[in-house]
Amino acid sequence: MHESMILMLPILVPVMTGLLLLCMPAVKNRKVLIGITAAGLIVTAALVFFVLFQEADSFTFFYLTKSLPVYFKIDGIGRIFVTVVTIVWLSGGAFAFEYMKHETDEKRYFGFYLIVYGILVALDFSGNIITFYLFYEMMTLLSMPLVLHTRSREAVMAGLKYMLYSFCGAYMVLYGVYFLFRFSNTLTFTAGGVLNQELIAGREQFLLFVVFLMILGFGVKAGMFPMHGWLPTAHPVAPAPASAVLSGIIVKSGVLGVIRTVYYLFGADFIRGTWVQTTWIWLTLFTVFMGSMLAYREKLLKKRLAYSTVSQVSYILFGLSMLDQTAMTGSLLHVICHAFIKCTLFLCAGAIIYKTGKTRVDELAGIGKEMPALLWCYTIVSLALIGIPPTGGFVSKWYLATGALRTKLPIVSWFGPLVLLVSALLTAGYLLPVTIQGFFPGKAFDYTHLKKKEPNLTMLLPVIVLTVLAVLVGMFPSVVTDYIVNHISGLF
Amino acid sequence: MQPMMMFIVVLIPFLTGIAIPLIPFSKRGHMMAFLEGLVLLNSALVFSLLMHRPEESFAIVKFTGDLTLSFRIDGMSMVFGGLVAALWPLATLYSFEYMKHEKNERIFFMFYTITYGVTLGIAFAEDLVTMYFFYELLTLVTVPLVMHTLTREAILASRKYLYYSLGGAAFGFIGMIFIIVYSNSPDFVLGGSLDLTKIGWRTDILLLVYVLAFLGFGVKAAVCPFNSWLPDAGVAPTPVTALLHAVAVVKAGAFAIIRLTYYCFGVEFLRGTWAQTVVMAIVIFTIVYGCSRAVKETHIKRRLAFSTISNLSYILFGVTIMTPLGMVGALSHMVFHAVMKICSFFCAGAIMYKTGRSYVHQLDGFGRRMPRVFGIFTVSALALMGVPGLCGFISKWNLAAAAVASDNPLAFAGIGALLISALLTAIYMLSIVIRTFFPAKDFDYETIADVEDPNWYMLLPLSIFVAAIIGFGLYSAPIVEFFTKIADGVY
Amino acid sequence: MDFICNFPFFSILISLFSGTICSVLPGKAAKWVNTFVIVLIGAMSAALLWYLLGTGESFVYMMGHFPAPWGNEIRAGVLEAATALFFCIVMLLSMWGGRKKLMEEVEPSKHNLYYILVNLLLSSLLALIYTNDLFTAYVFVEINTIAACGLIMIRQIGRTLEAAVRYMIMSLVGSGMLLIGICMMYDLTGHLLMSNIQESVTAIIEEGTYVIPLVMAIALMVIGLAIKSALFPFHAWLPDAYGYSTISSAAILSSLVSKGYIFLLIKIIYRVVGFRIFHDTHIINVLFVFGLMAMIFGSLSAIKENDIRRMIAFSSVAQIGYIYVGIGLGTQVGMLASVYHIFAHAAGKALLFIAAIGLTDVSGFSRKFIDLTGAGYRNKIAGIGFTVGSLSMVGVPVFAGFVSKLLFAQAAVNNVGKMLPTLIALGISTILNAIYFMKTVIRIYTPRPDAPYESVAIGKEKLYAVSIVLFIALNIMLGMSSQPVVDAIHAGLEMFG
Repeated sequence: MHESMILMLPILVPVMTGLLLLCMPAVKNRKVLIGITAAGLIVTAALVFFVLFQEADSFTFFYLTKSLPVYFKIDGIGRIFVTVVTIVWLSGGAFAFEYMKHETDEKRYFGFYLIVYGILVALDFSGNIITFYLFYEMMTLLSMPLVLHTRSREAVMAGLKYMLYSFCGAYMVLYGVYFLFRFSNTLTFTAGGVLNQELIAGREQFLLFVVFLMILGFGVKAGMFPMHGWLPTAHPVAPAPASAVLSGIIVKSGVLGVIRTVYYLFGADFIRGTWVQTTWIWLTLFTVFMGSMLAYREKLLKKRLAYSTVSQVSYILFGLSMLDQTAMTGSLLHVICHAFIKCTLFLCAGAIIYKTGKTRVDELAGIGKEMPALLWCYTIVSLALIGIPPTGGFVSKWYLATGALRTKLPIVSWFGPLVLLVSALLTAGYLLPVTIQGFFPGKAFDYTHLKKKEPNLTMLLPVIVLTVLAVLVGMFPSVVTDYIVNHISGLF
Repeated sequence: MQPMMMFIVVLIPFLTGIAIPLIPFSKRGHMMAFLEGLVLLNSALVFSLLMHRPEESFAIVKFTGDLTLSFRIDGMSMVFGGLVAALWPLATLYSFEYMKHEKNERIFFMFYTITYGVTLGIAFAEDLVTMYFFYELLTLVTVPLVMHTLTREAILASRKYLYYSLGGAAFGFIGMIFIIVYSNSPDFVLGGSLDLTKIGWRTDILLLVYVLAFLGFGVKAAVCPFNSWLPDAGVAPTPVTALLHAVAVVKAGAFAIIRLTYYCFGVEFLRGTWAQTVVMAIVIFTIVYGCSRAVKETHIKRRLAFSTISNLSYILFGVTIMTPLGMVGALSHMVFHAVMKICSFFCAGAIMYKTGRSYVHQLDGFGRRMPRVFGIFTVSALALMGVPGLCGFISKWNLAAAAVASDNPLAFAGIGALLISALLTAIYMLSIVIRTFFPAKDFDYETIADVEDPNWYMLLPLSIFVAAIIGFGLYSAPIVEFFTKIADGVY
Repeated sequence: MDFICNFPFFSILISLFSGTICSVLPGKAAKWVNTFVIVLIGAMSAALLWYLLGTGESFVYMMGHFPAPWGNEIRAGVLEAATALFFCIVMLLSMWGGRKKLMEEVEPSKHNLYYILVNLLLSSLLALIYTNDLFTAYVFVEINTIAACGLIMIRQIGRTLEAAVRYMIMSLVGSGMLLIGICMMYDLTGHLLMSNIQESVTAIIEEGTYVIPLVMAIALMVIGLAIKSALFPFHAWLPDAYGYSTISSAAILSSLVSKGYIFLLIKIIYRVVGFRIFHDTHIINVLFVFGLMAMIFGSLSAIKENDIRRMIAFSSVAQIGYIYVGIGLGTQVGMLASVYHIFAHAAGKALLFIAAIGLTDVSGFSRKFIDLTGAGYRNKIAGIGFTVGSLSMVGVPVFAGFVSKLLFAQAAVNNVGKMLPTLIALGISTILNAIYFMKTVIRIYTPRPDAPYESVAIGKEKLYAVSIVLFIALNIMLGMSSQPVVDAIHAGLEMFG
């Protein structure tokens, strides 16, 4: 056995555990279920961190066809993503142990939850576009049961919508992959791109079209306009911990796809200054603004958060579309921050639903009196998302804005930061009312029915941990940014 | 191996088939053993024949002049013959169980087995005339199978099937005549047998004839607008729909078109002409059209039939690329689609057989009651969509790679059509899967208490197929290499 | 000269005299005489064919002791002998197949009359085949017409009488034109013997005088024969005549009588006018166009038909169209295909008529499709026969129709100008054929829930079954081992030209 086989362990362990759960006959004792899931999560997390520090960092699993290996390689970007995935996944899992009590079919939920974890690890470790595509499709398919978990008509339709949008995107990507296969030296991710300059001579315009398709395709998962429609439908109908990971992590795989395509396959130079870059930038800016506006007008809390995701992920894409080192640093930082923040927000919303059953924003008056700890967490991460120092959101947005200004592109280099700013204001507008109403419900509020409903520690602890992390990233950003800069400097 | 053997393997199913209604079997089991034994024996003979290929040809009858009925095995024959020989025993096993509660099963098995021989005849045909001969015969021996239930729909369907097939063959016939007149030898030669000196200025007429013949043979391959017989023919018992209308008959159409394009007219002659553009455009349209119709259908077999229409055009898309790579793509989809579609059809058949339900909206919650069948169905659905790791991905990859390499703008659009079709496939296949595994929240499983997995007669073929789907998906190198050699003319 | 060279003359004479004899015999004896005569003539033709294939050249037989150009002659080549043999076979089988029906439908007192007519018909057909003299040909054309009318009328119901009158009128128009044509020919050339006329015609063409009257004469003869052989649009008499007469008559009329005229036409083209000259007259294009139209419109009419016998009759119109297209292609190969199709169609169409009667008899004597439902199960042998006949007509391999289709298509490809119309018409016509024949086949194999009609066991009507089986064998033989037949036709045409 090859020693780099060890790379497969963090992928196989959760998948196997998940399959075990799915195939297991129904168990009476809920503790068994929880025990297996927890063990699976913890072992995998340990394995992930173990693998990250291994010397062997690449492994060819097998060959689909002679020229298409399933190949894993751990690089800087992959390390960042996999770390975020692991943290969020553990938190979401811990939260779900309590939350899922009021849902049915827990076994199925935890089964798929584990499997998707394994798939995501594989996705982050993927060393070429074929492997990436393979796990990307599997992720769509296997995360779908999480979306339609409640099996209400609405949820099933949302699941279908999610799947169709995702496949639509995936196939746009695949279209590009077919052409890449012909016009590149290799499909392995290589900093600076893999295009074969001799072969593409005279076909640049067509390849630009192809790269645009691929960006749009991955953009589907990242909720980029015009293919964002699934996101506000699919995320809110899932159980809260599932919404948290969907919004926090799964959308980021689209971001990862875009990074891989633009920086590791075609190369930033190939699209710099072309119509593709321009169109892309404008799409992201529009999405940023539109997402915030829609969130602002939305009354259902979870749906509001989903629209917020649409907007925030496009911050990241905006940073990437600048094709600039600073902006990209900001993007990656925002990947981390947004994952923590959005996960926390959804978990808070979940805890509120779990304890009170309230889903609409205007029902939440006085909630701060009932569950103060939770609402404090909510408030802190809200501020982080708005971008108030010293939280993570502030640092990432700072990098994004300076990066944009540095590029000196016409119009967008100043208009972009402006849009980000307006969107930040809107973010404040749609997130903070909950805090204000929650803590200061006003004079007319009837205090007599209030009683303490603070969720128990299993639910509260993940929320607190993630909140703390979101703040810590903002207080000590250089730890992360240095690492990022180290790893992306080769791309420009 | 003796060349004579080629004739014998075609003959054995004929004789077996004719013997079935004549021999008075005392028990059904005896007939089953007799039939399965002979079919297995024949498949074994076919495989040994393919392993030790006789080089020379074997002539049976002379029609007129130098037109003979003769057999010879080349690479293409090996693919199609091997495919048929591998699938037939399994399908026969499946149909023993399925046909239990149908009437006139002797007659059914008679024609079912004869069809095996005829299909092998198509595979082993040395020239266009022989192929045409067995091609027409195929229509005739399969009509009774479509008619089998003798209901009004069955009658109408078989009538339509006949009209379409015979009409199509009539135009294939025109192509055949031209090949006889304008070629050096009537035999199949990779690269085409046209004699360019004889053609002279008649290039355009020849291209027109090619298009006509393409459409003529395309009727069996359900090219739009000649596709409506295929969903209608789904009234036949499922083993027929699965084996014949997803594999043997329709693939015979595709096979004939490959023969016509690569072995008669020759791709050198056709590539880059308006004829290529026309047929490719038709094929691309069919790819999308079939899928969109499948989405609308609610009868599970009709839905699969429309899916077949679309997938057959994948094969033809590979053919119309008209490069060796395109042929590799076509061949791989021919084999892989056969496995995938027969698998999904057999699942549908198992559902209809065990529960009598045949509409998609009646399948809520079946996933839990028939976990094996629906597990297998899910795999075949994913394979049809082209999820990597399953065989559908490999063939699509080959097709797309060929299209990209051909530098033909229309072929680039064709890749787009393939992907749109994949998306639609996701819609029509996964909507079934989701429904069966995730019924509505308040679904009462008591209402489907009678639903259960079928016995091993049905499950064994299904398991083998699903193993093949995964196996080919993960390890396709040898078979694709084999196809490449065929396309390069090594065999 | 070998004794065997007398056979053509003997066969004409025997059939003519046996007709006379039959008139004084009772029905049953007449039947035996008739059968014997047909078999005997068939045997003689076979011997003659074998002899001619051996010698490899045709011979001319002088009637009486006047040499050419004054005397009357008979000419026999491979093609003539083969056609005679084939006609005998088909006639015999048709008589067998329709015998029972004949007993039922025709008054007993008229049975011997029927056999007289059949014998006369046979003798006239043989004369048309063998004669080398235009006027003799005309005489036998008329005898043929009269005999055919009798065959139609012998079943005395209103429709047949009407049909016979129609047939008579159309036929006489045709013979009239033929006669005028022959007269003009005689005026122009001064001869009646075919070989002599041809010499003069060649001379006229070379001189360039009287070309227009010559073409006129040829046209009149050709159109006269075309009317008589029911080429579209002169086919109005045909469906009733074939559809309502007793079944043997229908089979003989459709497969032999019209083919006799076509054979004569081919003979005139080769022996009187000369293939080359005929080709240059453009009459050939007229035949071609009407042949194409017949292929399509005949089939379309058949599709609309709701009566199985009339449907088969309309199918004949289409098939005759095939033959004229083959002639119209104006190549040797096309002619070969036409002659082959004469055989193939005769075998197939007679089978269809005979099988159809078996089907209608088990369906309450109704010929409507709705009543025929499931007839294939009630009379199995007729069902199989009908299926085979249909497949042959559609042109499915194994059966005779396929080979003729193959020959037609090959011939078409050789003629660049007429290639595409022919091929496309061939394709469309195949589809149309498939539509109406296969519709019927499926209809007769669709079971009925109620069972109002009795079934017939195969063994019950032995002669009928035998005739069907032999017809099927004939079809398959023509389809599977066509090479000897094609070779014979080829040799025969060579001897003509």
